[in-house]
Amino acid sequence: MITPNLSWILLSPLLGLGLICLVPSYKTSLIRRISSIAVLLSFILSVWVYAVYDPVRSGFQFVQNVPWVIPFGISYHLGVDGINSLLLLLLGAASFAAVLVSASVKERVKEYYILLLITIAGTYGAFLSLDIFFFYSFHEVAAVPVFLMIAIWGSKRREFASMNLTLFLVAGASIALLGLLALYLAAGLGTFDLIQIQQHLAAHPLPIETQYWIFPIIVVGFGITLTLWPFYTWAPSGYAEAPTAISMLHAGVLKKMGAYAIIRFAIQLMPQAAHTWMPTIAGLAIINIVYCGLVALAQRDLKYLLGYSSCSHMGYILLGLACFNTIGLNGVVYLMFAHGIMSALAFALTGFVADQTEARNLDELGGLLKCMPFIGTCFMMAALASAGVPGFANFIAEILVLLGAWDQYRWLTVFAVFGLVITAIYMLKAIRLGFQGPLNPKFASLSDAHTLVEKLPYVLLLALLILVGCLPSIILTHIGSSTKTIVESMR
Amino acid sequence: MYTVIKWNLISLEALMAVILIALTVTDIALPKKIKRDWIGDFSIISLSGLIVFWLTQSALNGVTFSNMFVMDSLAWFFKGFFLLAMVFIFAMTRECFKSLGERRNEFYLLLWLALIGMCFIASSADFLLLFISIEILTISLYVMTAYLKSDRLSIEAGMKYLILGALSSGFLIYGISFLYGTTHSTHFDVIQRYCQTHALSAMTLFAMVLIFSSVGFKIAALPFSLWVADVYQGAPTPVTALLSVGSKAAGFLILIRLFFGIFGAWHFEWRLALAILSAITMTYGNLVALFQTNIKRLLGYSSISHAGYLLMGAAAGGALGASGINFYLLGYLFTNLAAFLVIVIFSITTKSDEIEDYDGLSQRSGLLACTMLFALVSLAGMPPLAGFFGKFILLMAVIKSGYIWLAFIAAMNIVISLYYYLLIAKRIYVDSPRNPSLIAVPICMQLLLVFAIFGIVIIGIFQGPFLDAAMNAVKGMYLSHLQ
Repeated sequence: MITPNLSWILLSPLLGLGLICLVPSYKTSLIRRISSIAVLLSFILSVWVYAVYDPVRSGFQFVQNVPWVIPFGISYHLGVDGINSLLLLLLGAASFAAVLVSASVKERVKEYYILLLITIAGTYGAFLSLDIFFFYSFHEVAAVPVFLMIAIWGSKRREFASMNLTLFLVAGASIALLGLLALYLAAGLGTFDLIQIQQHLAAHPLPIETQYWIFPIIVVGFGITLTLWPFYTWAPSGYAEAPTAISMLHAGVLKKMGAYAIIRFAIQLMPQAAHTWMPTIAGLAIINIVYCGLVALAQRDLKYLLGYSSCSHMGYILLGLACFNTIGLNGVVYLMFAHGIMSALAFALTGFVADQTEARNLDELGGLLKCMPFIGTCFMMAALASAGVPGFANFIAEILVLLGAWDQYRWLTVFAVFGLVITAIYMLKAIRLGFQGPLNPKFASLSDAHTLVEKLPYVLLLALLILVGCLPSIILTHIGSSTKTIVESMR
Repeated sequence: MYTVIKWNLISLEALMAVILIALTVTDIALPKKIKRDWIGDFSIISLSGLIVFWLTQSALNGVTFSNMFVMDSLAWFFKGFFLLAMVFIFAMTRECFKSLGERRNEFYLLLWLALIGMCFIASSADFLLLFISIEILTISLYVMTAYLKSDRLSIEAGMKYLILGALSSGFLIYGISFLYGTTHSTHFDVIQRYCQTHALSAMTLFAMVLIFSSVGFKIAALPFSLWVADVYQGAPTPVTALLSVGSKAAGFLILIRLFFGIFGAWHFEWRLALAILSAITMTYGNLVALFQTNIKRLLGYSSISHAGYLLMGAAAGGALGASGINFYLLGYLFTNLAAFLVIVIFSITTKSDEIEDYDGLSQRSGLLACTMLFALVSLAGMPPLAGFFGKFILLMAVIKSGYIWLAFIAAMNIVISLYYYLLIAKRIYVDSPRNPSLIAVPICMQLLLVFAIFGIVIIGIFQGPFLDAAMNAVKGMYLSHLQ
C-alpha cells in the first residue's frame, strides 16, 4: 500500500507560493487558482492521512526523520498520531475555505496570497512536527505574515489590532521558548526530538522542583496563544479587524496550536507538575468562560462578539486539560476540532455579511435573512452549534469536557455549564438583531451567495460540523487512541 | 635570538598589504588626467580572489613573529567574516560616493586599511600587536567618518568618534600597562599562565575593567556607547555599516580571545558583571530605539541592543556561548548589511534617511521593500530567518549557565524590538507613499540585495554548516580556556 508522504502536505502550499512569486501581479485569477489548488492538495492529503491512520496501532505513524542540526539534536521529524491527524484535517478544511472566501479580496492580490500561504504552510508545519525546535519555528513563522495581513487588508482599527495581536503572541512565544529550552536542558538528552524526550521522561521524570517552575512558563507562554485569561485581550480586536481569512484561520486553527503545545509539551512531559498546577488552570478556565462570555454579551459589533465568544470557549479547552482523565482530554481534542470548524464558519459568514453591508454593528443590521437566506441560515446553524445544541460537533465536545470535569471540580463545572447559557443568549441575540426582524431598506438590494463556488466553503464547514456531530465515532477512535497513552502517563 | 618566520601564516595580510601599497602608489603616480574609477571594481574583484585564497587557509594553525601573530580557527573564521562584510561595504561605497568623484577612490584605500587592521586584530596574540591593529582600524574609521567634508553632521560624527575613540585607546593602553606590571609580559600565553596560577587581584581586576571598557567601546555596550547614535547618523552610510558589523565583530572577537581565552580562568569573577551589563545594554538600546525618527539612528540603537544580546553569550561562557556569538554575528552580517544596502540605495534617490520617507516603499521598489522586511524580521529574531537561530543559541547558553532572569529579560526585549521593527515594516508595506515615483536599483545592487536575502534565509533554515563553522572556530582556538 502507498503510504502518504507527510512532507507534501507542507510542501504543497510552499510550492504554490513559489509559483505565485513568478506570476505577474495583474494575473489575479491565475494567482487565486494556484493558491486554491495548492491548499486543496494539502487538504486532500490530510484527509488521506486521516483515513489511513490506524488507530488500533496508535502511536506516531508515517514518520519521517532527517537529522538537521546535529550538535543540538534537532531533526526534521514529521509524524502523526490521533490528535494531530485530526488537527491536520481541521486545518485542511479551514484553510481551503479561507482561500475560497478570499475571492472578495481585490487589492494587492499577489501579496495577499503569498502571505496567506506562508501562514498556512507554517501552521501545517507546526502540527506535523515531532521536533520541539521545528514545532516552535513553524508556529512562529505565521507571526509576521499575520501582522502584515491585518495591517494591510484589515478594517478600521487595523493598526492597533495588528500590533496588539502580534506583540502579545510573540511575547507568549518567547516565554514559551524559554520554557522549552529549559525543558530541553533539564531532560539532558541533547535532542529536541519529542518522542525520545517523551520516552526518556516517562521512565525518568524530571525532579519535581524543576517541573514545578518549567511547567507554568510553558503553559503561560502557549496560554497566551490560547487566549488564557487575563492574556486574551489581543484576540477580540485582532479577529475583528483582520481580513476574513485570517480571522477564520486564527480563531479556528492557529490558536489551537497553544492547546496542542500544552498537551504535548507541558502535560505529557511534566505530569507531576501538571497535577500541582492544574487546579489553578481550571480556575482561570472558568474565568475565561464566564468573564469573556459576559463581555461577549455586551458587544454590539458582530465580529467582536464572535471574538469574545471564541475566548470564552477556550475556557472549556483549558478546563478539559485540567481534568486528567481520558474523557476530559478526548473532549478537549474534540472541542479543538469542533470549535475550529465552527468559528471558521462563523467568521467566514460574518465576513461575507460585513463585505456586503459594510456594517458589522448589530444595531445597523437586521432582517438579513430576507435578502440572504442561505448565509443567514448557515449563520443560525453556526450559532446553534456554538451554543451546544445537540446534532452539532460542539455539543459532544462540550458534554465530554463537562463530564470529565464533574469528578474533579464540581463547583467549577456548574459555572462552566452556566457559560453555555450565556453563549446561547448572545448567539440568539446576534441572530435576532442581525438576521431577523425588519430588513434595513439600505440592504434590500444585497445578494446572497449564489454560485456553487461561493457556497462551497460554508457548505463544507457546515457539513463537517454536522457529520462529526452525528457520528462522533469517526473522530473519537482517532482521538482515543492517542489520549489513552497521555492519560496513562499522567497516572 | 633567531626565529624562523612562518610566512604562510601571514600570507593573507601580506597580500592585502601588497594590494594596498600598489593601489596607493598607483594613485599617487598616475597622472591626474587618468580616471581612477577602476579602483573600486578592482577592489571588489580582488576581495573575491582573497576570499578564495582564504578558503584554502582553513587548516592553517600556528604562531609566528615570536608568538605575536597567531593563525587559528577563530582568526580564520573572522577573517572570512571581515572579507565578506567588506565586499558589501565596497559595493555600497561604489554606489554611494559617486557624487564625490575622485575623492571616492581615496576612500577605497582607507577601507583596505581598515580591513588589514581587522585581520590583524583577528590574529593578535600579543597586547602590543592587538593595540596597534586596533589603532589601524580605528584611525582609518576616524577619517572615514568625517569624510563628507561639507556635511556638518559628518564632521560632528568624526569629532565625537575621535574623542571617545582616543579615550578608549587610552583606557586600553592604560589597562595593558597594569597588566604588564603584574604579569611582566604582553604575550597572551604568558598572561594566561599567570591567570591560571594566580587569583584575581585588585590590580589585574583594574586592568581587566580598563581593557573591557575599550572593547565595550568597539562593540557599543553600555556605558561606552554614547557615541553610537550621533556617529551612526552622521557618518556616511557605508562607514555606518562598517561600524555596525565589522567594528562590532572585531570587538567581540577580542572579547572571545581575552575572556574565553587568556582570562578564562577567572570566568566566574566577571560573568555576573557581564550578565548585568548585557541586560542593561539590550534594554537601553531597545527602549531608546522606540523613539527614533532617523533610520540610521534607529539602527544605531538597535545595534546597541544587539551588542546586549551578544553579551549574553559572553556572560554564559563556555563553548556554547562563544559559538553562539559567532553564529549570531554571521546572521547579523547579512541582516544588518541588507538593511544598510537598502538605506544606501534609498538615500541616493531620495536624499533622505528619515523613517517617514520610507512610507509606501513597497510600491516604489518591491525588491528594496522585500529586503528591508527580511532584514527587520531577522533583526527581530523571528524564525525561520538567521537572526532567530542566533538568539536561540544564546538563550540556550544563558539558560544553561543558570541566568534565567537574563533569558527572561532578553525574551521581553525581543518583543520591544519587534514593535519598532514592525512599525517600519508597516510604513513600508501599509502606508501610501508621499512621493510615488519609482526607485531605480542598479543591476549589481539587485544582485547584492538578493544575495543578502539569500544569506538571511539560508543561514536561518539550513543552520547546520554555519553552526559547525561557528563551533569549529571556537574549538580550535589558540589558548582556549573552555570546559
